Amino acid sequence: MNSSRRNFIFSFLFISTLFVSNGTTWARPKLIVGAIPDQNPERLNRLYRLLSSELSNELDITVKYVPVTNYPAAVTAFRTGGLDLVWFGGLTGVQARLQKPGAKVLAQRDVDANFQSVFIANLNSNIPVIKNQSELRVLKGKRFTFGSESSTSGRLMPQHFLQQVDIKITDFKGRRPGFSGSHDATLALVQSGAYEAGVLNKQVWEANVNRKKVNSSKVRVIWETPIYVDYHWLAQPDLDKRFGNGFTEKLTKTLLGLSKSSITQSKILKLFGANSFIPAFEHQYKDIENVARKLGKIK
Amino acid sequence: MRQFKLSSPILTILPALALIPVLGVVLAGMHNGGLFILFEFFSASIHPSLDPAVIHSAWRGLQITIATALLSWVISTFVGVLLGLISSSIFWQVFGFSTRIAIVLRRLLAIPRSIHELIWGLLLLQLLGLSPWVAIFSICIPYSCLVARVLTDQIDNLDHKALIAIRNSGVNHISTLITALLPPIIPVINSYGGYRLECALRGATLLGVFGMGGIGTELQLTLQSLEFKEMWTSLWMLGVVMISLEAGLSWWRKDSFLTKQSERQLLISMAIMLAAIVISFLWLQALDVNIFSNFQWHPIPLPTLVEIINAFSELPWINLITSTIVMTIFAAGIAIGIPPLGMMLWPTKLGTTLQSAVWSFLRLVPAPLSALLLLLCTSPSISVAALALGLQNLGVMGRLLKEGINQQNDNLYAAIHSSGSGKRLAWLYGHLSPQSKSYLAYAAYRTDVLLRETVVVGVVGGFGLGWQLQESLSSFNWAQVVLVATSFSILTLIGESISEDVRHHLLKSIKREQNPSLQN
Amino acid sequence: MTGLLDLKDIEVRENNGYRLKDIQLSINVGEKIALLGRSGAGKSTLIAVANGSLKPNSGKVSWRGIELKFLNNRQRNEIGTLWQDLRLVEELTVSQNINIGALAKKNFLWAFYNLLGTIKTKECLTCLQAVGLDNVFLTTPVQELSGGQRQRVAIARLLMQQAELLLADEPLSNLDPTLVDEVLKLFLNKRSIDPINIPKTCLISLHRPDLITNFTRVVGLKRGRIIFDCQVAELTPLEINSLYKDR
Repeated sequence: MNSSRRNFIFSFLFISTLFVSNGTTWARPKLIVGAIPDQNPERLNRLYRLLSSELSNELDITVKYVPVTNYPAAVTAFRTGGLDLVWFGGLTGVQARLQKPGAKVLAQRDVDANFQSVFIANLNSNIPVIKNQSELRVLKGKRFTFGSESSTSGRLMPQHFLQQVDIKITDFKGRRPGFSGSHDATLALVQSGAYEAGVLNKQVWEANVNRKKVNSSKVRVIWETPIYVDYHWLAQPDLDKRFGNGFTEKLTKTLLGLSKSSITQSKILKLFGANSFIPAFEHQYKDIENVARKLGKIK
Repeated sequence: MRQFKLSSPILTILPALALIPVLGVVLAGMHNGGLFILFEFFSASIHPSLDPAVIHSAWRGLQITIATALLSWVISTFVGVLLGLISSSIFWQVFGFSTRIAIVLRRLLAIPRSIHELIWGLLLLQLLGLSPWVAIFSICIPYSCLVARVLTDQIDNLDHKALIAIRNSGVNHISTLITALLPPIIPVINSYGGYRLECALRGATLLGVFGMGGIGTELQLTLQSLEFKEMWTSLWMLGVVMISLEAGLSWWRKDSFLTKQSERQLLISMAIMLAAIVISFLWLQALDVNIFSNFQWHPIPLPTLVEIINAFSELPWINLITSTIVMTIFAAGIAIGIPPLGMMLWPTKLGTTLQSAVWSFLRLVPAPLSALLLLLCTSPSISVAALALGLQNLGVMGRLLKEGINQQNDNLYAAIHSSGSGKRLAWLYGHLSPQSKSYLAYAAYRTDVLLRETVVVGVVGGFGLGWQLQESLSSFNWAQVVLVATSFSILTLIGESISEDVRHHLLKSIKREQNPSLQN
Repeated sequence: MTGLLDLKDIEVRENNGYRLKDIQLSINVGEKIALLGRSGAGKSTLIAVANGSLKPNSGKVSWRGIELKFLNNRQRNEIGTLWQDLRLVEELTVSQNINIGALAKKNFLWAFYNLLGTIKTKECLTCLQAVGLDNVFLTTPVQELSGGQRQRVAIARLLMQQAELLLADEPLSNLDPTLVDEVLKLFLNKRSIDPINIPKTCLISLHRPDLITNFTRVVGLKRGRIIFDCQVAELTPLEINSLYKDR
């Protein structure tokens, strides 16, 4: 019968897939690199392709980039060992480190040690420029948006600075703030007038100013936050065991050694928006941990 | 006094009333500040990015999405059919057990169904780590339960006399079910299963969460960075796939409608399913997605009772639940009511074609994107969230309605039209009326889906349980997660029993014959 | 002494009345019983109770001394029913429906195999011929057949079952007169059509009293009660008339 032959071919194909797959599973161990999703895909692809090949050249290992598009998913993937080296934000990095004791903070960008967020407002909203943090109270009763709910610069630290002057997130219009999902979206929505004010990462704001995406007749900065630490590289505790003694240190050195003198390395740094990577330490993130605990983002 | 009784065709159109308050709020909040960005979005559709790197990555993403969709489609259909069978009353009746088991099972299945695949994904990711199977399972869990629900309803609405006769003549349980249940159910599985493939494709745009990449990753990241040209590269690609899939499915449905021979249908569908599994395995392997990676069990500390009680007092429940219900009801009203209303108001060939085109576009645009686009010209409110959710599902409902109408014959319409009624009335009585009952049944299933999807519209401003679930997950607050997920399930169960009551009420007009009890 | 099928003290209640009351009926091997009565007298209910598809509110039905609900599949297969509403599987072809009759003696794989094509066994063809249908109908879906043809398929399915006892509910209502005779002859006079065995015993409900001549025994049902139960030869026209008269 015709159908039995067809079935035979199918089962043959099916079994052969099993064999093909078995062949690929015993490749040498890979270093899996991940990042929280905060840039456009084309840029992420270029960035991590360059970085992967640079790391694999310098360290003589296979490097694979896995894009994870959700903040808590990236944290979880790190906890469960699916990602070896991750470019985390301040909050997600702390969350990941608390969930995976022994994880090592490797490096941060030069800009991350002195990171800032900017509060912006639509000009039609008549929100004045603020000189003093306590004047943030003018935002009460306004339509206000944060970025992504797990973002350090788009939510956690700004919310902290708001709470310092007694503004709760229920004080905005509609008794709740918006969560635009990203820094760029916050800018677009405040500029359009959908929200009267919002807050975003200063670096993204400046990049948009430089790309002439900001219409200064519609939106302006009303306040720059105090500085805090943000993004950093976090590595699994067991890398030395898997890749050989001293690997974590070698990896850190490679990251710290990226310099503008090499063409590829300078491209990588440029895509990261950094001049160089600098050493980073757990204790720098204690403040963020405290803030996150206070705001309920860490239990 | 004259008593008004609502007939089912009117019931399909009535939900469109939700549009009035929603549009009222949306129009009141109108502003023109975002017109420029909106213009950028639409003009980018004509100039999508043709950068080889963008195209290459979108193409790869598309392939991963299709392959995963195929795989999760086969699994969820297969599991859904099995679950649907064992949660039908007749199944237990054949085996001589109480049909209460079926009812309990049906209620139990509402729990996995009430939770969005994104949430399943994040939960499974906690337990199993990064693996393609986590993505596939999380799509399959709610989807197979939905297939099960549709199938259970269909099975229990069948005429079971032949089945009882066969069982009575001493045929064993399994042969009875194969012979009497499979033939009438195969066409249902064929046509509904095909439609599920499209849903699986939409669901698989979620893969980015699991590090699998896929077209959804491209869409999400371009949405975050507002790179509309790059976004349109992905949207166009996805659109082409969805439209060709639709065309293929409607061709297949027409073809299978002609061959009444269920034997051939059975063979062909089994062959397609087998082929889909093999192809998706080979494809994913070729795309370097390691589908055979191992699982490891990563337990999470279960929340204690005290923590749960504390979490209960932390959240503003009344607010969360009412806004979820309001959002779901408005979104459902828009999604259910507008397609029949639009088709009735503009039933010409041009009107139908244009409306289908709009529906296709709406299906293509993910809810977070339409929420953002809406926000560019209006103020945030719960209405915007409901509208964004409603619009995408409107596309789905419109398609189901059109398909149903295409499958019935034109005789009734022609009869009414030729008797001098206008086109609109003829459409209402001739086309919509015969469809309205099954359309309303699908509407009930859609409402379920909508409730689940309230998870994805946080951009509009932290509304409802869905947003709270995401917030609790991102804080890794398991006590809150348990509570919010439970409330989703309870809402789904309540919604389900209401829609079942409505259905029973509607079906009362069809005289249902009693099934004599089966012995042994 | 027990017969093949025994109905004892059967009572089926409905709302505030009875559909069957105080039924005592014992069917012995080889008997050909005609069940007479007006429509609504309870003929279909009696047949449903006899084949176990309807549980009586009280009373006992037993097959060869075993209560119906304790029968296993093989014993259950010995009772064949020809349903008034036929109960064919509409989506299947004629041959597939006929083969359902043989299903009880096969495993579930065969049931599956039956769905995949046309199984033309000698038995299947014999049954088809016995009811006067042409072989070309084998692959026709039953939903495309006329009322009379469907009834023939139902009879063929029943023959395929090769039961010991035939319970038939108005099996002749849709057939044309020439075929009525043939079918009656088949059930009442024939032992077998090689290789098919015809049920030796039968209980057939009829709406036409003129057809009872070839039966051995006749049972009259009126308003849920048996008003006569005797050999055909002993039946008087008066008794028949009383069945169809009010009061």
